[in-house]
Order: sequence, then structure tokens, then C-alpha cells
Amino acid sequence: MAPSLCAICATNRALILRPKDHSKLCKPCFVSVFETEIHHTITTNALFHRGEVIAIGASGGKDSTVLASVLKTLNERYDYGVELILLSIDEGIKGYRDDSLETVKRNALQYEMPLTILGYDELYGWTMDQVVEQVGKKGNCTYCGVFRRQALDRGAARLGVKHVVTGHNADDVAETVLMNLLRGDLPRLSRTTSIVTSTPSAVSSDPNSHTNIKRSKPLKYAYEKEIVLYAHHKNLDYFSTECIYSPEAFRGSARALIKNLERVRPSAILDVVRSGEDMAKLVPGSDEGCGGVCASAVAAAEEGEGGCGSSNGRTAGGEMASMEMHLAQNDLAAENGLEVEITSVPAKKGKKNKGQPPAPRKTTKQVMGQCKKCGYLSSQDVCKACVLLEGLNKNRPKHEIGVVDEAQEDSTSGVQGVTNGINKVNIQVD
Amino acid sequence: MPGKHLTFVSEKPCRRCKENLAVLVVRTEPLCRDCFLRYVHTKVIKRMESFRVRFSDNDQQRKILLPISFGVSSVTLLHILDQHLRTQAEKTRRTGFSLSILFVDTSSVEKSCSGDTLMARVQERYPDHQYASLPLHDVFRLVDKDTSLLGLVPGLKSNQDLSSPEQLSSLINSLTSATARADVIHALKTRLIVEYAKSIRCEGVLWGDSTTNLAQKTLAETAKGRGFSLPWQVAEGESPYGITFNYPLRDVLKKELVSFVELSEPSMSPYVHEPSLGATQASMSSKNTTIDDLMKQYFESVEENFPSIVSNVVRTSSKLAAIPGTSSDPHCSLCYMPVAGGRFGIHGWGGDQEDGLEVPVVGGGKGLCYGCTRSIPSS
Ligand SMILES: [Zn+2]
Ligand SMILES: [Zn+2]
Ligand SMILES: [Zn+2]
Ligand SMILES: [Zn+2]
Repeated sequence: MAPSLCAICATNRALILRPKDHSKLCKPCFVSVFETEIHHTITTNALFHRGEVIAIGASGGKDSTVLASVLKTLNERYDYGVELILLSIDEGIKGYRDDSLETVKRNALQYEMPLTILGYDELYGWTMDQVVEQVGKKGNCTYCGVFRRQALDRGAARLGVKHVVTGHNADDVAETVLMNLLRGDLPRLSRTTSIVTSTPSAVSSDPNSHTNIKRSKPLKYAYEKEIVLYAHHKNLDYFSTECIYSPEAFRGSARALIKNLERVRPSAILDVVRSGEDMAKLVPGSDEGCGGVCASAVAAAEEGEGGCGSSNGRTAGGEMASMEMHLAQNDLAAENGLEVEITSVPAKKGKKNKGQPPAPRKTTKQVMGQCKKCGYLSSQDVCKACVLLEGLNKNRPKHEIGVVDEAQEDSTSGVQGVTNGINKVNIQVD
Repeated sequence: MPGKHLTFVSEKPCRRCKENLAVLVVRTEPLCRDCFLRYVHTKVIKRMESFRVRFSDNDQQRKILLPISFGVSSVTLLHILDQHLRTQAEKTRRTGFSLSILFVDTSSVEKSCSGDTLMARVQERYPDHQYASLPLHDVFRLVDKDTSLLGLVPGLKSNQDLSSPEQLSSLINSLTSATARADVIHALKTRLIVEYAKSIRCEGVLWGDSTTNLAQKTLAETAKGRGFSLPWQVAEGESPYGITFNYPLRDVLKKELVSFVELSEPSMSPYVHEPSLGATQASMSSKNTTIDDLMKQYFESVEENFPSIVSNVVRTSSKLAAIPGTSSDPHCSLCYMPVAGGRFGIHGWGGDQEDGLEVPVVGGGKGLCYGCTRSIPSS
């Protein structure tokens, strides 16, 4: 076969089959197209404004490394006039972050960006290793997940930075759309499709501060495969590792579907993202009317970091099974004429929770307020992180923690009410 | 297959009648054959409430169209409704509605059964209804006033006098992927069924989608970029086509329908044409896999252990609500779904980055929605 020419410049030999649309491009054209598209995303969505300080949530992985590199390039090329800094979170798991934090430190030099590394100990007073020591291996995912969700915002607030960008890419967004359809969570589906989300500040020193931490995803429309290609061709220094946790069942399922879809039709990832954006407007009670600002407020608080789903790690297949149980119970109750409607199902539950009878609930809309303790966005008086911390601190002298870790995942049910469930399930099943 | 069920729960009594031995477990409930058949029957008839005898007009019989593909779902639906109508007639000497059955023959453009034999058998077994069989290309004849659909056929302007079969094959042959072909064939089939239903004055269409099918459709349409159209794809009631849609099998799983066909006596198997599961899976690795195939395979595996999750997907997508007033938006030339503000094509949204590049933007002059443009790119 004769070597084909680049579809854009028609001069160089095409060396790259572009994952997004299978066009054949030369290396310089691919790099330029990739950058131009992200510039386009930034400008059409007016993500940045001149003079803004922007913290890049940096993990040392491919997404955030490419994000940092591209943003530096674009900021210089198009004179955005923004100040870019790197913000990394250290969970305090011995050995886990060492290599990736080294990568981030090198990135800081390479891109000449100031770097701040904040540890869980600084943000919460506990490292993950200490949490594990306290609660044991079993319940610690809950802590890591809840803490992780708030860490970047708390970190940014501490630095006085009002805008955090993350490396979420098109694959992550598409995965989240399918996952929320599978989990039946429309409110979250509609929130997480927005390119910009925001959460009230977590500044605890100033309870009157209601400044929002804005979060955005400049790579929202960029394919993961293209991010890898870009990193490769630009010789970027990133830390490639599989997340040590396997994704929970729904995310794993959605991820597998996305990979297969991409194989069948390369545009499918983008098409799912488009569907997600359109569906967000069709969710009853959605706040699209206000420009998406209200609706998107919660998203950042709920999004997993870096798309590795690590917060939900250990329950894998169990998560689907427990949701199945929960739903089947509701169906049965409904068939027996009980007035029960499920509006949303807890994201995940430990085994003990399986048979928990559904709380009768009719309203779809959660009222989001602020945590009384830390000011972070929360549907409860006190946010999950603060509840967990309270539990930890109370038991600072080593002590067994029983119920809290499992129960907190269901934001609507209280701390109690976990143990009775099992018996009820057995009655229905045998 | 029934053997599998028998060995599985042979020791357990039926949860409902407490007399017979259970032959299968339905959503944690062991049921005997009779109770299972009744369970499915009841689930279907419950969804036909609005067609009860007492709502019917003495002078004018209500007529509904039931498209049949000879798959387990549509045959089961016919079987149950036939039984239901007989009971109504015995009890009250009249029926709440009458059925028209339509088979659409797509064998000229895809691998499918031609239907002649099955049609004859079904007609003999369920003789009380009106039957028709139409080739898919009749869609061009029936929508002949809708020039926008005809405008999709390549080279039509130069060949004004193409016959309908030629128009169809010309359109399908212009498509470049299995997903696009399946998608366009499905859209044309829906259009034909609707047009036919209107032409014989049916007030609605009874679709044979099971819960599993609707879940599959939810994810497949999402994957094809038609998330915007979901309120009209899974919900019952007035459709954008100006005719009501009902899904009487929406509370029954696909695997339950398969069991229904197996367990019914006399057997319904002679009326069912279902490509064996192995056939679907064999093609999975090849180029011929479609998005619909992927989702079908996925949900048939999920329903094995997680039936309630399947139902929950349908319940979830049914909650999506059309924005009031959208039904007056311009319709897509192919699938006929209302496109908000007439924003046709794949351009002009956040994920479209072409206008910032040196790539020529081709006009979306065909009036296709986002999803249909992916199947029939404008060029
Ligand atoms: Zn080139
Ligand atoms: Zn708090
Ligand atoms: Zn029985
Ligand atoms: Zn369309």
C-alpha cells in the first residue's frame, strides 16, 4: 500500500490514525489539531478569564499531565493571561503516591509552575494510613472516597484559588453517563455532564465566606486514546499506573461498554457525551433554566477523581448485587400495595446494608445546603466528611468503629438502622 | 431449556398456589407453570387498562396495530391479547378493541425471515384478526408526500423514476457501517408501521418491547447520540408521529417471555423465529457488530442476575420528560423525532470542534437529527 498523505496538510506522510474519527494525520498536524480543539473548548465555553489563578489538579497521571502541558502551551500561544499552578493531594498511603508525586514535582520544573502538595493530614488531620489503622481495612474506602471528593476544593480554598481544572476526559464523561443510567441516577447524570461545576468554599476559618470554587474540565471532549497519543508524541513525563483499586461494578460495566462502543463506532464516545448533555435538559426539576449553574453546583462534590473510581473500590460485583436486592424489595413492596417509591438508590453499600428496607421517600430533589461545620456543600446539616471525622476523632484512642462506615454511604438514612435488614431479605428469598 | 428450570427448583412448591411444584423462579418467587403463565398474562393485561370493554364505543370499534416480527416478544403479545379478546367476547359478547397485525419484510436489506410460512401459521392459529404483510420499501410509497425522507435516497434527483425497491437498496447500500444500516432500517420500519397504522385508521400501535428491550434501547439510543429523543422512545402515550404508542410487555423481562413460549401448551415455538443466541454471539467479534447488538448482549446478561436493575433503567429513562412545546419543533427527516430549535446535524455544540479548524464544514441540509446524521453523514 502506498503511504498516504496527511488529511490536513496534504504534505507529510500520515503516521497517525486519529482515534476520534479515524482520519489519517501526520504528527505535527495531530498535535496541532488536539491543541486547537482544547483551545476551542476553552474559548467557546468561556472557561477562563484574564488574571485568574487556576489550580490544575495534578496526580502525575496522563490526563492531568497532558492538561498541564496543553494549558501551558495555549496560555502562551493565545495569551489567556491566566496564572497556572499545580495542586496535588497526598492521601498519606505509604508508598502509593511516592512515584506519582515525584512525577508531579518534575512536571512543576518542566512547566515552570508552582506546586503545592497537600496531605490528608493537613486537610483532615488524618492520613489514610492512620484511618486504616483506626477502622481496619474494610471500611476505609468510604473515608478515602469522601475525603477525596472534597480534597481539591479544600486545598484550593486554602490557597485562595477559586478555579480548579481537572483532567476528566470524554471517556470519563461518557462512562459516567452510562453508569448513571445503569444506576438510575438522573440528577447525578445531569449534574456531571456539565463542563463547569462549582462548590461553595470549604474555608472553615471564615464561615461567612461563600465564595465558590469553580471546577472545570477542559479535556471533556478529548478522547483518552488521543490524550495518550499526545503524551507520547510530545514525550511528556507522566506516571502510568493502573489504579490499585478495581472500579466498582457499575463503573466497570459502563467502562467496558464504552470501550466496545468505541470499537464499533469511533464517534460513539462523543455521541454519548452529547446524549448526556441533551438528557440533562430533560431531567424533571433540572435547573437548566438557570444556565446550569444551580444544577451543576453539586457535581464537583460527587465526582470521582481522575475517573479511576477508586473511592468505590472494593465492593466490585457486590455493589450491583446489593442494589438489585434493594430494588427487588421495593418492587415487592409496591406489588403488595405499599406506598413506596425509590427515587435514588445509595451509590454503594456494604454487605450489612443489603436488606435495609427502603425509606419511603417521594421527593426527587435533594435540597442542598452547607455543612454547618465546614461550609462544604451538603444535603445534610453536617457533611459526610465531617461526620466521618467526628467519628474518627471521638475514637482517637484506638477503638472499634462499627456502624458508621457502612451507613454513611446512604446520605438519606441515618447512622442507625443497618442490622435489621438481613433477616428481612431472607424471609423474601427462601 | 425447560429441563433446566425443572431440575433447578423441582423440590419447591409454587409460592402462589402452594399446590404444584415450581418450574422456575420469577424474581425470587418459585412458580408452577400455570401460575407463571398467569403472571405474565396479568402483567400484560394490566397495561391494557385503557382498552377495556366499558371504554369502547358500541358503534365504532377501536382498532390498534400490532407489528409482528415473529420474535418471542411480538408472538407472545399476540397470543396473550388473542386470549384476552376471546375472554372479553365470551363474557360481554363484544371486545374493547380489535387488532390489526402487520409484518414488515426486511429480507431484501438484512438477514431476516421472509415471514410467509410463519404468517400463514399464525393466521391459522389466531384467525380473528386482520393481517397484512408489507415489504420495507413500501415506506417510500406510504410517505410519498414526505419528500424529505425521499431526499435521503442518494442520486434521486437524477433518477426520478427509481422504483421503491431501488430507492431502498440505493439508500441502504450508501451506508458504510453495520450500525448505520441497522439504525436506518429500524427507523424506516418504524415509519412504515406508523404510516400503515394511520392509513387503516388505527388509534395506536402496540409495540412488543420487553423490559429488557426497552433498557437496551435506552442505552443504544444514548450511544447513538439520540439521548434527546428518549422521552418518546420508551414512554407510553402520544408519540411525535401523531398516534399513541403502548408497550404492554414493558413489565416483563425477555427471559420471562422466552420461558412463556417454552411453557405454553400447545407450544408456541412453531410461530417463533428467533435467531439462536449462538448466532448473535458469533458475529460479535466481526465487523458486523452493531451498537444494538452490543446493548442487547449486555442486557441479556444483566437480566440473568440483576432483573431489577434492568427494570430500573427503564423506569429511569421513562422519567425523562420532553420539554413542553417541543413537539412543534421541526422533525428529523429520517426518524421523525422533534429536534429542538431545528438544530439539525452534528455541528454547533460543545463537542463539535470543527469550526475552529481548517476543515470544511459541510452543511446539514438534509434535516437530520444528531443521531441520524451519524448514520447518514452529509457529504
Ligand atoms: Zn499534516
Ligand atoms: Zn463538613
Ligand atoms: Zn402455582
Ligand atoms: Zn433522526
